Amino acid sequence: MLIQYILILAVVLLVIFFLRHHGTSRSGAMVKLGFALFLVFGVVAVIAPNQVSRLASLVGVGRGTDLVLYAMVVAFGFATINTYLRFKELELRYARLARAIALRSAESPEPADTENDGTLH
Amino acid sequence: MGDQRDVWLVVPVYNEAPVIADVIRDVRATFPNVVCVDDGSKDRSAEQIRLSGAHLVRHPVNLGQGAALQTGIDYARSQPGAQFFVTFDADGQHQVKDVEKMVERLRHEPLDIVLGTRFHGDTDHIPFLKRFVLKTVVLLSPALRKLKLTDAHNGLRAFNRTVAEGMNITLNGMGHASQIVERIANEEWRVAEEPVTILYTEYSLSKGQSLINGVNILFDALLRTNARR
Repeated sequence: MLIQYILILAVVLLVIFFLRHHGTSRSGAMVKLGFALFLVFGVVAVIAPNQVSRLASLVGVGRGTDLVLYAMVVAFGFATINTYLRFKELELRYARLARAIALRSAESPEPADTENDGTLH
Repeated sequence: MGDQRDVWLVVPVYNEAPVIADVIRDVRATFPNVVCVDDGSKDRSAEQIRLSGAHLVRHPVNLGQGAALQTGIDYARSQPGAQFFVTFDADGQHQVKDVEKMVERLRHEPLDIVLGTRFHGDTDHIPFLKRFVLKTVVLLSPALRKLKLTDAHNGLRAFNRTVAEGMNITLNGMGHASQIVERIANEEWRVAEEPVTILYTEYSLSKGQSLINGVNILFDALLRTNARR
């Protein structure tokens, strides 16, 4: 069925592109576009469900609702991965911030500890 | 082995107040320059570190061992005269003798980084399950196999300035070990392994990371983006 090829190919391409360009404004814009398209698709599905059924049979899916379901699963997968990646990147920036603070107040040991035993002589 | 003042030990510390002062004093008998990174400990580790004669850098919050190592490396590489760097555990599992051997090799052999390995010769003292998991991780990691490394997760590493300046650990947690190995492969640093002894005391075993954390490490390694430097 056509839908299988479309879905698998789309997912693979998107994952590769996503992971390589995550965090760039270009991919950010694409994600927003994708989200907008998804919303449009949702509105159309509600207003004209027979169109969705037509589209579904075109790609080899039984019902319109099944097509919506597949689209949702893919969208959900991306939303999850995107959230995870955003978190990881935030974590890194936060770590760098904490590091800068830590290094600013670094403490050298007491210079008079010549015997290296932790006491001053 | 002579003057070791050009060697800096980096020790990430998290809640090791009972042992850290003894560990550091023992190390400083041979290597005077040590920086401990207190990763937001809830106990009196910082106090103990001050008493031991090491340099102290404190994270304002807990970030993870990877982040603590990177902070320590940042600090050490900015110290005048620092030529060699060693990552060393705070819990007494590592042996100073092994560090001496590894630094000697760095001084005299054409190497950028020496990694400790538990899997040379007598490995009977390593808990079986740990041995099994570590060997599995080696099998699953292309970088480890390409470099022919035998120990996936050894905290004892010695390296020179080239590596220290190129070191950029971005995985804050335990995934940093795989990240370092990958970096060695990508940057083509000259690497060798040195058999080391890890002392599994009751204290250190009680603090070891649970094996199920391996799932987190693997996940982090697989799902990584090109985080900007």
